[in-house]
Amino acid sequence: MATALETVQDYAAKAYKYGFSTAIESDMAPKGLNEDIVRLISAKKNDPEWLAEWRLEAFRRWLTMEEPTWQKVHYPPIDYQDVHYYAAPKIKERPKSLDEIDPEIRSTYDKLGIPIKEQEILAGVAVDYVWDSVSVATTFRAKLHELGIIFCSISEAVHDHPELVRKYLGSVVPAGDNFFAALNAAVFTDGSFVYVPKGVRCPMELSTYFRINEMNTGQFERTLIIADEGSYVSYLEGCTAPQRDENQLHAAVVELIAHDDAEIKYSTVQNWYPGNAEGKGGIYNFVTKRGACRGKRSKISWTQVETGSAITWKYPSCILQGDDSVGEFYSVAVTNNAQQADTGTKMIHIGKRTRSRIVSKGISAGRADQTYRGLVRMQKGAEGARNHTQCDSMLIGDKCGAHTVPYIEIKNRTAQAEHEATTSKISDDQLFYCRSRGIAEEDAVALIVNGFCREVMNELPMEFAVEARKLLGISLEGSVG
Amino acid sequence: MNAPARATRSRYVAPIPAFADAFTAARSSLPGKEAPAIQDWRQLHFDRFLETGLPTPRVEQWKYTNIARAANVPMALATRPNVGLGDVQRYFTGGPLARRLIFVNGHLASELSHVRGLPQGVRVESLGKLLQDEPEWSARALGGPAEPHSFADLNAAFLQSGAWIELGDGAVLEHPLQLLFLTVGQPAAVMAHPRIVVRLGKEARLHLIETHIGLAPGHCLTNLVGHYELGEKARLTHDRLQLGSAGTSFVGLNRQRLAERAELKQTLATLGGALVRNETDLHLVGSFVEAQLNGVYMPIGEEHVDNVIRIHHEAPDGHSDQFYKGVMDDRAHAAFAGKIIVHQDAQRTNAFQRNDNLLLSDDAEISSKPELEIYADDVKCSHGATCGELDRTALFYLRSRGLDRAQAESILTFAFAAEVIERFVDPAVRKLARECLVARTPGGAGLSDLL
Repeated sequence: MATALETVQDYAAKAYKYGFSTAIESDMAPKGLNEDIVRLISAKKNDPEWLAEWRLEAFRRWLTMEEPTWQKVHYPPIDYQDVHYYAAPKIKERPKSLDEIDPEIRSTYDKLGIPIKEQEILAGVAVDYVWDSVSVATTFRAKLHELGIIFCSISEAVHDHPELVRKYLGSVVPAGDNFFAALNAAVFTDGSFVYVPKGVRCPMELSTYFRINEMNTGQFERTLIIADEGSYVSYLEGCTAPQRDENQLHAAVVELIAHDDAEIKYSTVQNWYPGNAEGKGGIYNFVTKRGACRGKRSKISWTQVETGSAITWKYPSCILQGDDSVGEFYSVAVTNNAQQADTGTKMIHIGKRTRSRIVSKGISAGRADQTYRGLVRMQKGAEGARNHTQCDSMLIGDKCGAHTVPYIEIKNRTAQAEHEATTSKISDDQLFYCRSRGIAEEDAVALIVNGFCREVMNELPMEFAVEARKLLGISLEGSVG
Repeated sequence: MNAPARATRSRYVAPIPAFADAFTAARSSLPGKEAPAIQDWRQLHFDRFLETGLPTPRVEQWKYTNIARAANVPMALATRPNVGLGDVQRYFTGGPLARRLIFVNGHLASELSHVRGLPQGVRVESLGKLLQDEPEWSARALGGPAEPHSFADLNAAFLQSGAWIELGDGAVLEHPLQLLFLTVGQPAAVMAHPRIVVRLGKEARLHLIETHIGLAPGHCLTNLVGHYELGEKARLTHDRLQLGSAGTSFVGLNRQRLAERAELKQTLATLGGALVRNETDLHLVGSFVEAQLNGVYMPIGEEHVDNVIRIHHEAPDGHSDQFYKGVMDDRAHAAFAGKIIVHQDAQRTNAFQRNDNLLLSDDAEISSKPELEIYADDVKCSHGATCGELDRTALFYLRSRGLDRAQAESILTFAFAAEVIERFVDPAVRKLARECLVARTPGGAGLSDLL
């Protein structure tokens, strides 16, 4: 009988399922980053003047900033001049309908298991596809339009709804927020934009699919979601990349804004290429995600399943400004082989009776290192605020690491915060019990791991839950069946 | 503890020149002044202190305590005021047969101390005397520089007194040994740098009581360093009580190394002092070690308490348990950072940590950072941290039994903190701590019959 450790090692030989690249002509900016490149991106994107200025401002700020080193991940220094900051699939004009999309791109998405047509008809999910840096297609637009929901690429939004973009862009994650957010603000090329008007409940899941295709490119997308009073939207995000020997940088920014009584549910299934067993290649996923519960009784919920990337470094956060607002963070992170993840959340309680809940499940295998890093802060005015945090780690094999670094800062007498964390391995008793009931070891491990993550998986929308469960299986294949 | 590399240099502030002046002034009076070995040893550490500087809150370990503001002020070495037996007697603990070393502002008060008639294999010495009489041996025994640490380096540079406690294999000290540190405030800002060295041989047993008492208010910084080595199956019970007076600050670094099957039980109560920081660096180097750290802090007024604990599980089958509770009132601020590090070889480790906090006032603050860093898979580690108000149902219960709200609140607050106090092994320490606790509990006067 193979031990869990051996079976994890077996997995190292297994290939990344999404590791193909597609030969299509691409329009690329030269390597490197300077004001000219920022201007070039502005020109390519046909930016209005304020946005071009905003980018340059961010770039100048970025030049003065130091790359952060406090996170518990190790990687060789990134040469920011060795990256193409703009790569777009060469399409003369934006396709009028889905049929006009380059057949090569279409077939790639087919390989990924998201045929655009099929999704549109069967799944009923409106998807915005981002290829390298540029949004390729947005499905279901007309139907959403009837409800007044705006769902388009952010570059379209800049032109079609400048008042909204200008009002909200950078209002949650300012251009100079941190090193990678500043970089993103300077060179972001596309992303999704969602605006849900007052009182509208978005009838379908909105979704973006990110893919990095070109070599030596970075992907810097920016997502902006605004839920006006009393509205609801659920947004899904998925990502893959081809298999490459060198590391690629993904520095995205996501901003969410929820007004009175609005609710935003943001789910991510992140499966960027994690590099090979020796840790060669893979994506550096340095993402800034933050939501602001501006309105009373608003709610923002982050759910993430992180299985890919060589390095994951992100902290989806909630700023709970409105009284009675709610922030949630559900996370499953799986690291295997040489993957590293430093992820967690920040819950900043400002308003009265604000509530937050954090559930983080980490599974570490192979030589991987994983850190939960979180902050719960109750400001002076956060009367009666509540937080409950639970982070559990599971270790598979004796060469991996799991770390927990929570910060709890309470400045209000009536606020309550609870934090609990455990670290353990799959117990031999549990395994033995399953085996004695005739369950094969691999299935038993899968059963136990799935149980371990269930609390988070239950938060995922249907469409994603299935994919996420499969991904979890693939990521730990061998030990998890 | 990371060496402040060039890139992080800005996180430290350069010490003000007053330190160098004080060092020059003190050199000729500190014990071991004639011996080059001690001189070099001091200089080495002082140079490194100047090189490192004082940490600002940008250093992760000092995130919640701005020590540079409190310590980077001109201070001279404290002089020794007169203290009579009558002033200190009420702080005597450990029973009538306890032995005692008493320090006043960092100076050994030998006329008040009593360490005679020690059993075979037990050695209790004044560190100041050792530095003076056996400088070469002391310099060697105290050891060269480990990694830089601003305050440990400063302590070595100014080291004036302390206790050298050594128990040979199998030696047992039946009655407790009390180290009583008295701080008597003076008009000018002063500092004291005592050190405790404890070495327990195989199967040795010691009950150490460490009390820090502030007798009069005044700006005085006590910078204590403790080195504890526990041999195989050695057992140390360590009761620590800190009752600082207004204006007195305390910075302490304890380094403990526990060999196979050693046992440590430490209980710490911080019930006074303008700024108190206790840093603990506990290494479980042998297997099957049992370590228990209990702590309670109850700052009032504008006091600030910071507990930093790092427990390194370096060998298999170790067991560590941290149990810290805090009650913050008025404008007090407390910080707790407990870290459990389980090394790759430390399989079958059990490590637990609890940190519960209660805020009594709208202006009080607590920052808690319970941390796990785990590299072994067959372990059971957990931590929990809570913060909140008193349990409403418990309050309701007491009120339904006829207590008024204020009484019920006092009882629950006292009980919350007293849970740790009860873990003191010495009854006299427990009593002293309880009295201070009652004095600090709102409406505590009504609780005195609980004592």
